[in-house]
Amino acid sequence: MELFNREILLALAIFEILVLGLGFALSGNSYLMLLAAQVLLFAVFVATWNIIGGLTGQLDLASSAYMALGGITTSLLWMRLGVPPLLGVFAGGAVAMGLAVLIGLPTFRFGVKEVWYALMTASLVVILNNLFRYTMGPWDFYLPSKWGLIYLRPRTYFELFLIIDVVLVIVILVNVYISNSKIGYYLRSIREDELASESIGIDTRSYKLRALAIYSFITGAAGFLQIVIYSSFSYRLFDTSLAISIAIMGIIGGLGSISGSIASAVIFRTLGEYLRSSLGGVFPGLDLLLYGIMLIIVGVLKPEGLAGLFNQVRRWLGK
Amino acid sequence: MTPLDLLVAVVQQVVDGVFLGLFYAIVASGLALIFGVMDIINFAHGDLIMISAYFTWLLSMNLNLDPLLSMLLTLPILFLIGLGIQKGLINPVLGKEPLIQIAVTVGLGFVLQNIALGYFKAEPKGYPAPLFSGGFNLGPFVIYESKLVSAMVSLAVLILLSRFLAKTKLGLAMRAVTDDRASAMLMGINVGRVYLLTFAIGMVLIGVAAGLWMEMGQVTPYLGTSFSLVSWVAVALAGLGSIQGLIISAIIIGVAQSLGSLISPSIQMAVVYLIFFFILWFKPRGLFARR
Repeated sequence: MELFNREILLALAIFEILVLGLGFALSGNSYLMLLAAQVLLFAVFVATWNIIGGLTGQLDLASSAYMALGGITTSLLWMRLGVPPLLGVFAGGAVAMGLAVLIGLPTFRFGVKEVWYALMTASLVVILNNLFRYTMGPWDFYLPSKWGLIYLRPRTYFELFLIIDVVLVIVILVNVYISNSKIGYYLRSIREDELASESIGIDTRSYKLRALAIYSFITGAAGFLQIVIYSSFSYRLFDTSLAISIAIMGIIGGLGSISGSIASAVIFRTLGEYLRSSLGGVFPGLDLLLYGIMLIIVGVLKPEGLAGLFNQVRRWLGK
Repeated sequence: MTPLDLLVAVVQQVVDGVFLGLFYAIVASGLALIFGVMDIINFAHGDLIMISAYFTWLLSMNLNLDPLLSMLLTLPILFLIGLGIQKGLINPVLGKEPLIQIAVTVGLGFVLQNIALGYFKAEPKGYPAPLFSGGFNLGPFVIYESKLVSAMVSLAVLILLSRFLAKTKLGLAMRAVTDDRASAMLMGINVGRVYLLTFAIGMVLIGVAAGLWMEMGQVTPYLGTSFSLVSWVAVALAGLGSIQGLIISAIIIGVAQSLGSLISPSIQMAVVYLIFFFILWFKPRGLFARR
């Protein structure tokens, strides 16, 4: 089987035309452009989560921990040692991956899974949150006033949007590559039945660890872009509720479906931002309430998520 | 600080930690019961406590009733709400894969959290004049009445629960279902009814935890997350099937957190979760599990 077949590349091209078209259309309005950049970056994190959560079936709730750790590493390297973020993001990704592997090794070795894996990763966010606050204090740290591509910090939100779009395309290609290669089949078989996969000779531990490493590296490297959007960082970046939102979008989109997870991230984050800006004063948290309701509906009625809905529509159109 | 001062400070933290741990035991008991009997992974546990705490607060403020007394009203109502949640939300996902259960209960937690945020806003809410608000000195140590009372009430309720599980027919049925669902069904136990009542009793335990919390502190929409995590840590540490085990585990957590706060209040929870990591790695069935 080809790793990148024509259908997928065509779909990606159409998606990119839409994204870029939207970008150009909004480029006059910097507020909307910032929102669009945020939505797209959220899609990056959800699509990356798809590797560990969707494909491998490990309910990882530490996305924001790797994002914050990687982003803060990149920022500190820049602020303290003058390393330009264009290089620094790789160090950020590596640090996030290092921690993930360090914890993942004993975790997978001792067979921690399902609810316990979810809880462990959720508490990792809290541990890092507390440690960061303990060592660095409760303050906001601001990025230096320097702009340019080498700092991954362009002057306009439109350029930032383009940078994030490039990252999104890379993440999509990584997803498609993994999903269509041998490791993808292994990961899916682990998700469906770990014991059975082990009995046919798959080294489940090593493959789960690889999925975790790829996911944490990309999340950590992309974390700096989140800081660029805020222009500052603090211990609050280690946010359990954000990590859970990312996992929720992956589940609503349909586990393992890259198109579904990106669609749910874009649709619900946009809707959420809209609700927040229009009704946030009257009813704070309405956007998250909506995520919760969607999650219950998907869990009870349609466990295959948006991807299942897409397939239904496709079947219906094909008739 | 002289060594004697340090000793006094440490002992004070241990005493506070034991009180906190007894409170955590009641916080975790509902989760342990529901998880043990029904095998349902409930991520919304802490948020149920949070919303029940708001419920207690509303009643206390409107009727000018101490939170401890409001419980007499909240507990029967929460029992009925428990029946409803079990019928509407939990039954459809019973026996489904863990990820689906987690998804639905995380969804429920998000809904509760944001209803609370939307309705009560983010400012902490507390009952201004609880019955037990002072403290007294015991040698060099300070004992807070509210913490002492909540620890004692929690202990009493847990002893009651353990008597109930040991002596009544329903309690026996619940333990039978915990140990072996299929055999229990074959012995003529109506498992569906046991589930329904288990969840409702779990809600009552949640209501007790909420009432005790309102006697001691204030509620915010975000209270649930930490209660959920602490409850799961206690269940992981204890393993399933023993209330005594749960109490001891909860005390270990309370003391660890309390001693952690001696280093710095901002890392007290990190200490608890680090214990959690090591338990999951090296003793995944918990310290006191029967199975």
